[in-house]
Amino acid sequence: MLTTVIAGRVYDFSHSVGRNAAAGDGFSYPCAIALASQGVMYVVSRGNETNYGSRLTKVFVGEPGEEKVLAEFYRYGSNPGQGLWPNSVALDKQGRVYVSDDWLNRIAVFDADGNFIEQWGTAGAGPGELDGPAGLAFDADDQLYVVDSRNHRVQVFTPDGKYVSGWGSHGSGPDQLDTPWGIHIDTHGGVYVADWKNGRVQKRDRNGQVMMQFGQPGDGPRDLNHPTSVAVDADDDVYVADWGNHKLRIYRPDGDLITSLIGDAQWLSKWGQQSIDANPDMAKMRRRVKSLEPEWRFYYPVAVAFDAERDLIIVADCQRGRLQLYKKDRNYAVPQANL
Amino acid sequence: MVDNHDIGLMAHLMRRAGFGAPREELERRAAKGYEATVEELIHPKTTEPADEYTLLRYQPAALLPGGMPPMGNVNWMFHMVNTQRPLEEKMALFWHHVFATGNSKVDNYDQLLAQIAMFRQRGMGNYRDLLVALAKDPAMLYWLDNNENHKDAVNENWGRELLELFSMGQGNYTEKDVRQASRAFTGWTFSVKIPRLPYGRFPWEFEYVAEDHDDGEKEFLGHTGNFNGEDIIDIVVQQPACGHFIARHLYNFFVADEPQVPSWKINLPRDEAAVAALADTFHESGYDIAAMLTTLFTSDFFKEAYFTKVKSPAELVVGTLRLVGGAELPRPDYGRDVALQPTYMGQDLLNPPSVEGWHTGKEWINSGSLMSRINFVAEMVGSTDLPGVQDMIGRLRAKGPLDPDAFVDSCLDLMGPLQVGTDTRQELLEQAREGGSLAWDTADEVEASVVRVGEMLQLIVAMREYQFN
Repeated sequence: MLTTVIAGRVYDFSHSVGRNAAAGDGFSYPCAIALASQGVMYVVSRGNETNYGSRLTKVFVGEPGEEKVLAEFYRYGSNPGQGLWPNSVALDKQGRVYVSDDWLNRIAVFDADGNFIEQWGTAGAGPGELDGPAGLAFDADDQLYVVDSRNHRVQVFTPDGKYVSGWGSHGSGPDQLDTPWGIHIDTHGGVYVADWKNGRVQKRDRNGQVMMQFGQPGDGPRDLNHPTSVAVDADDDVYVADWGNHKLRIYRPDGDLITSLIGDAQWLSKWGQQSIDANPDMAKMRRRVKSLEPEWRFYYPVAVAFDAERDLIIVADCQRGRLQLYKKDRNYAVPQANL
Repeated sequence: MVDNHDIGLMAHLMRRAGFGAPREELERRAAKGYEATVEELIHPKTTEPADEYTLLRYQPAALLPGGMPPMGNVNWMFHMVNTQRPLEEKMALFWHHVFATGNSKVDNYDQLLAQIAMFRQRGMGNYRDLLVALAKDPAMLYWLDNNENHKDAVNENWGRELLELFSMGQGNYTEKDVRQASRAFTGWTFSVKIPRLPYGRFPWEFEYVAEDHDDGEKEFLGHTGNFNGEDIIDIVVQQPACGHFIARHLYNFFVADEPQVPSWKINLPRDEAAVAALADTFHESGYDIAAMLTTLFTSDFFKEAYFTKVKSPAELVVGTLRLVGGAELPRPDYGRDVALQPTYMGQDLLNPPSVEGWHTGKEWINSGSLMSRINFVAEMVGSTDLPGVQDMIGRLRAKGPLDPDAFVDSCLDLMGPLQVGTDTRQELLEQAREGGSLAWDTADEVEASVVRVGEMLQLIVAMREYQFN
């Protein structure tokens, strides 16, 4: 359904943005989103070894049909300013762009237009060293939290890469982590970590003390299957990309599940439509398909972001090369039931 | 108490029923016992398949690779290197040899991987059910044109190969049987899939179109009726030729190299009694592949068949990677550097040269492929920082000083145990003697010994004997 009305909230599908593309208008296995302002965002494409479409795209996403690529950088390669396995992206208060690379074990820094500034990071398992840097998030003091995934911990750095602190160890205990992925810091300083292999999300305070957790491994309605990303909205509702279950889970601040979204892209994105218009046989075959419903759905949704300026939930739909956007509608008038 | 014979036999079993195993695993399995290991391999309920989530975290494109290499190869190689169910994976490879389906036409690694997953799931189950699943497999339907097999325009491609290459072999049916079987499979097709633009691949699904099925009477292998596809398969599996054909395939894959399949009509099996025993099991068990594998792996003809097969490129590459370790996680360029290695050696997985599959045995070897094989394996075993090589070095070091004879024999033992001819051993010994005894007392000696071990392992894998399984 396009509109979900539940528990005093309304989630209304807006539109999708993107298509599978190794360059230009689209994404190649989008895996992370960082929001700037006024509709500008940065999207990480993981890419593949067939066409090496990994990159960072600066893109404007406005109303349906208004999307526009503004810049592309962090192309495939191991030279400064390039990357092999880009994983995540975050912006500091100056709008500089930080990209983690979970093969090169480094963080690359760019200005807002994609001009390379510096890179830092040392491979290893000691304090301040990295093995598989994944999710990134800045706190209110502009300290960068880095999910150090294969060291099963979170480390905190200054923006120029000086080690500050860290927490987490490998395991499935209440305060342990197993190959974590995404991270989010809410406006109160709460730190949410997608504890990927443990099938849960941990909420910790800024010192790393566990405050609560969401989910357990599995595919049931209250389970999580390898969650990858977390976002929190202005009401402190929590959004979790339940990657392996192909769902976006939405929780109340106390961790109670509100609902799950499964993807609703019932019409093509602007760039998707352009692909079809340019390939008449594709259009003909689409008319012969019994149901296009599989195309609407998330397929390994890997990242979620909440645009508080517009009350927009933005989901990176990894296998489909697109973003799906939902409006958290605060002005929805519910029609009478008996229509 | 595990002795060298137990280790040797277990190594033989794991080379054939899997992709080899490091020494620690051989010791553990040998202590558990041969029959118990066979049982665990055939019914792998307590061991884990490869973790596909890990693959997709690092290489998301391996899920829906499309029509271009190498991401499809990445997917399968990851499974073969990481699975703890080696026979399950080996059977997927076996059926890929028999039911050879290729990307050259299918242009869709997604569907080929789905077929391999089906082999993983059903490869040790009931053969009749496997054939039905194969007949409904979209990659196969497209590969052999059954989507073009219509009630009023019969296409015989699938019907013919079902009898010739997938169940009985030439000489056991007539052209009329081919026609009748093909008529029975009219209407077996796949539904139109959502096209690949703009959001990537979507799967084909099997579809039975009753209106396009020839529901008339058919005469097939002496039976008469309004047969549908499953009826044809039911009749096929009852034929003595079917049991014999599958038995010979299993013998060829797991025991000893047979001539190429097209010549089976004129070349008798090298061990007719063994093939007959397997065929008997096929029929007595109601076409149960697991029962055939139990018969095979517990037979004397298997246990005595050390090093009688030329390693396929997949066996060589995967066996080496599992031995030396370090390739469990994907890495950048895993496709070209690792997953396509069998392709460079003449076995382009998921893309066999034709429906007949690969010519195997000594035909794997030519001057080009031999160089590729040796170069790859030598580079791997010469990388003394890899965990599996480190383990071998540690085991050698634990023996203390080793004179050249003991050095050579220990290395051959850890690499198999391998059996080599007198001339080969002499060559290895001459190399070992140049450096004298292996010593480990000082840092310099350790450093020098590590280098010498790496060189010795490289020399061993360059020998003729290492090409055999």
